[in-house]
Amino acid sequence: MAIEYKKSLAVLTDFVGVEEAENLLQWLLKNPKGKINLAGCVHIHAANLQVFMAVKPQVSVWPADEELKRWLTILEK
Amino acid sequence: MNALLEQFLSESRDFLQGIGEKLMQLEAEPESIPLMTELFRFVHTLKGNSGLFDFPEMTRVLHASEDLMDAVRHGRVNYSQELTDQLLDAMDFVGILMDEIESTGRIGNHHATNSVELTKSLRDLLAQSTAHSDEQISASQGISNIDHPSVDQVLEEFTAVEVDLAQEITVGFSEPTFDLKEDVATALYRAAIEGSSVFWVEYIPEPECFFKGEDPFYLSRQIPAVLWCHTRLQHDIASLAEMDVYSSQLTFQLLTLATQEELDDIFRYVPDQVMRREISALAFVKPGGIESDNAVDDDFVSRLLEWLNEGDVERASHSIRTMLELSAPELWSSSVLRWTLLIIELEPSNQPVQCALINTLRTHDKTDLVSLVQNESSDDIVSETLLPEVPLTNTLDRHDEVSDDLSIDSGLMTGFYVVVNAQKVVLSSPPSAWLVGRIKSVAATLIAVHHATHQLHEIEQIQEALQHSLADHSPKPLLELVEHILNQVPTSDEIVASAPVAIPVEVHPVVEETVVIEEVIEPTAKFGRRVEDASPHFGRRAEDANTTVSKTLKVDQEKIDRLMNLIGEMVVAKNALPYLANRAESVFGVRDLSREIKAQYAVINRVAEEMQDTIMQVRMMPVSFIFQRFPRMVRDISRKLGKEVELVLEGESTEADKNIIEALSDPLIHIVRNSLDHGLEAPDVRVAAGKNAIGKLLIRATQESDRVLIEIIDDGRGINPDVIKQKAYEKGLIDESALERISDEEAVNLVFAAGFSTADVISDLSGRGVGMDVVRSAVERINGTVGIESEVGKGTRLYLSLPLSMAVTNVMIIESNQQIFGVPMDMVVETVRVPRAQLSSIKQKQTTVLRGRIVPLLSLNELLALPFEQVPNEDDEFATLVVRVHGEHVGIVVDDFRETVDIILKPMTGILGGLGGFSGAALLGDGSVLMVLNPRELI
Repeated sequence: MAIEYKKSLAVLTDFVGVEEAENLLQWLLKNPKGKINLAGCVHIHAANLQVFMAVKPQVSVWPADEELKRWLTILEK
Repeated sequence: MNALLEQFLSESRDFLQGIGEKLMQLEAEPESIPLMTELFRFVHTLKGNSGLFDFPEMTRVLHASEDLMDAVRHGRVNYSQELTDQLLDAMDFVGILMDEIESTGRIGNHHATNSVELTKSLRDLLAQSTAHSDEQISASQGISNIDHPSVDQVLEEFTAVEVDLAQEITVGFSEPTFDLKEDVATALYRAAIEGSSVFWVEYIPEPECFFKGEDPFYLSRQIPAVLWCHTRLQHDIASLAEMDVYSSQLTFQLLTLATQEELDDIFRYVPDQVMRREISALAFVKPGGIESDNAVDDDFVSRLLEWLNEGDVERASHSIRTMLELSAPELWSSSVLRWTLLIIELEPSNQPVQCALINTLRTHDKTDLVSLVQNESSDDIVSETLLPEVPLTNTLDRHDEVSDDLSIDSGLMTGFYVVVNAQKVVLSSPPSAWLVGRIKSVAATLIAVHHATHQLHEIEQIQEALQHSLADHSPKPLLELVEHILNQVPTSDEIVASAPVAIPVEVHPVVEETVVIEEVIEPTAKFGRRVEDASPHFGRRAEDANTTVSKTLKVDQEKIDRLMNLIGEMVVAKNALPYLANRAESVFGVRDLSREIKAQYAVINRVAEEMQDTIMQVRMMPVSFIFQRFPRMVRDISRKLGKEVELVLEGESTEADKNIIEALSDPLIHIVRNSLDHGLEAPDVRVAAGKNAIGKLLIRATQESDRVLIEIIDDGRGINPDVIKQKAYEKGLIDESALERISDEEAVNLVFAAGFSTADVISDLSGRGVGMDVVRSAVERINGTVGIESEVGKGTRLYLSLPLSMAVTNVMIIESNQQIFGVPMDMVVETVRVPRAQLSSIKQKQTTVLRGRIVPLLSLNELLALPFEQVPNEDDEFATLVVRVHGEHVGIVVDDFRETVDIILKPMTGILGGLGGFSGAALLGDGSVLMVLNPRELI
C-alpha cells in the first residue's frame, strides 16, 4: 500500500497512484484534523495533489525530495 | 524503419494524393455526396493508421480534419473554398511530417506548435460553420440543435478561455503577491541576461486527463531547471464531499530555464493544454520590501539619473552602494537600489532601464519596469522620455545658473533628511536580535550626516541618546531624537516643494496593460477573424521544388507477370547462343566465331540471370502476409473450442514468391485448424496430463538455401500411429503386410494419403471438405513437400518445404524413345547406370540394389505407355534416374541422360491441362518444346 492510514495520520510512501485519490479524500473528510506524512514519498499522482490542495491537510513530515517539497509549498500554513 | 511504418508511409502518400485530388474535384462539384464520403473515408483511414504510431502531431491534425469532413459530409458545415484551403494546408503539413519521419524516423518537436495551430484553425472553421448552419437551422425550422453549441456558447467558451488565460498571467506577474523572492528573481534575471531563455509555463490539464492515464503532476515535474513553481486549483471547491477527485482542476505554473525543445518534448502529447512564453529579463526586476515615504530623497535620485544618463556608471554605483549602506536592507528603496546595481553590473549600457528603475524611487510607481521602458523606448531621447514633463538636464542647467551654492546646500539638506528619515524607519521596525547593532548603526549614520551638514552641535545629543538607548535596550531615545530632528525641518513634501529641482508629479503615466511577456508563439487564428489571415501555411507541395517522391511503386501484378514472361523468353533466347556456337563450329567450321559467340553468351547469361533474380525479388512477399491472419483465427477457434492457446509466430519476414505465398494460404489455415482441433487438448485434459493448461502453437518460417521451410508445431496429444495404421488398413489404403511393416513415422504420414479421412478424426471445424491429402496436393502443386512428425502425448510437428520461387525450374533432360523429357532437379536423387546383370525381379517387378537398399525400377516407356523397351548403352547398362517420391527412392529407367537446364515452366492449359504425369512444358534454346515430367503423378 502506498498509503498507510493510521489513527490521525496518513503515511504516504514511494509512488502514490491515481487509484488512491478517492480513498485519500474520504479519509481526509472523515479525519478533518488528520495529518499527512510525506517522509518516504517520491511522487504523488496529480489526482492526489488535487485532493491535498482542496483539503489542505496539515503536513507532519515534508518529503525528503526537495523538488517535490517545493511543488507542495502551497500546503504550507 | 520497420516494415509497418514503411507501409504506412507509402500508403499515406497515396491517401494524401487521393485527398488532394478529391478536394480539387470537390471544388468543381461541391454538392457531390459520393465525393464527400470518399474524402471522409480517406481522411478517416489516414487518421486511424497514424494512430498506430507515436505521431501525436500528425494524428491531431488528421483528427481535426476528419471531424471537419464528417461535418461537411453530413451537411452540418457548408463546403467552401476556405475549407479546401485549410484541408489542403493540413494535408501539406501531414506530408511534411511524413518526409521528416521518412528521413529521421520521428517528428521533430518544433512541429507540435504548428500542429496545435493547424488543429485550432480547423476546429475554428468547424465551430464557425457549425454555428452558422445552426443559426440557419433554428431560423428556418425553429429547432434548436442540441448537439452543437450555438454561436453564443462557442463565443462565450472562447472568450472565457482567453480571459482566463489573461487573468492567469496578470495574477502571475503583475500582482504584488507574486512571490518571487529577490534571490530567485535575481537568479532568473541573471540567467536571462546571460543568454538563457526563461520560460513561463502554464499547464492546465484537461479535466478528464486522469482517465487517459495521464499524470499532469508527473509531467510537470519532468521539466528541468524549474526555479519557481506553483500549483493552484481553477475553482474553489464548494463542497469537499461532492468533489470529483477524478476531474482535474489543477493548474501548474512555473518558471524554468529549460529550452523550448525540452518543453515541447515533455508536452508533446498535450500541447494544447500548455502555454509557454519566453519572459524577458526585465520582467524579473521587481523590487519588493517595506514601503517608506522618504527613504531616498529626490535630489539623490536626480543626481543618480544625471550620472546614469551621462554613462558615469562608476559614480552612480558608488553612490548607490553608499546609500545602501546607509539604509535598511528590507526597505523597498533598498531593493530598488540593489536591482539597479545588478543591472549596472550586467547591463552597464542599458541606461533607460537603470534610469526608469531609479525614477520609480520618486514616483513610487510599482508598475512593471518593462512596460515603463517599453513605453519610453518608443521615443528616441532617453533623457526626455525619462522625464517627459521636466527635462532633467535643462532643469539642472537652469538652477546652476541661479545659485550653485544653494543647489548644493539644499541638495545636501534634502539628502540629510532622507537619511534621517530612513533611520526613523529602521528604528521603527519591529525589535529583533540585531537591535543593538541597529541602534549603533543608526547613531553612526546620524553623526555622519550631521558632520556632513556641519550641524556639529547636534552630535552630542546623538551620542547622549545613543547611550540611553543602549542602556535601556530600546530604540526609543534615539527615535525621539530623530523625530525631533525631523520636526525641526519642513516635512518631506515641503522639501520637495522647496527644492529647486522641480519634480514632476507624474512621470510615467502607465498607458496600457502590462506587457510583460514576449509572445513566442505566433498568435493563431482567433475566433471571429478570417481564418486565412492568421492561419499558418505550409507551402503548397505543388510549388515545392524539392518534392520528395515516394520510393515505393505500386505496380499492377500483370505488369510484373509480363516482365516475368519476357525474361523467360530472354532466357530461352539466350540459351540458343550455345547451339549457335556449336553450329558455327560444326556446320560452318568457323572456330573463332564460335569462341566469340560463347564469350558473348557468358556476358548475356550473367545479365539475364541478374535480371531474373531482380524480378524474382520484386515478386517476393513476406510470409507475414499469411501469418497475420492467424492470431485472430487462433483466438476465435480456440474460444469456440474452449481451449486456451498461445500462438507464437516466428520468422514472419521470411520471403517467398507471391504465388507461393498465396498458394500456401489455404493449406496453412487447414493445418492450423487441424492442430487446434485435434492436436491441442482441452485445458483440463492438459492439466491431467501434467502439461501447462495453455497449449502452445508455434508457426515458424525459415529459409533454407533456396527453399522456405514452414513448421507448425503444437504441444498437443500427438498422433497415435497405431490408430492411423488401423484406419488406413480399414480404408484399404495399406495391405496387411504393410500394416506390419511400416514404421511409425511412415504411418503418421499416412494422414496425407488420398481418401484418408475418418468420421472421428475430422470434425465440422477442420473437415470443410479439405482433407490432409488436399493439403499435400496443394503444396505439391507448387513444388513443395509436406511431412509430419509426431510423438504421442508430446505434440506434432508438421512441416512444409517450399521453393522460394516457381519462376525458374532447374530440370534434367533425359532421353527416351528418341524424345527428350525434363525431370525437375529437386526430385532427382542420383543418376546411375545399372548393368543388366544387377537387375532382379521381385513379384514381376524390376528392382536393383543400390547401396544396400532395394530400389524398384520402372521403365519410362512403360509409364508413358510407349510400346518400346528401354535402350541400354554399349556396355549393356541401363541409365537409371533415381528420384524421390513421397520419401521413397524409385529408379526410372531411361535411354540416356542429357544436360540440366534452367527453364521457365509453363503449366499446360486447355485440353492438355488435364493430362496427368506432366507438370508443364518449356521452350528450349533451339526452339524445341520440352515436356517436363511429374514423377509423382507418373508413378
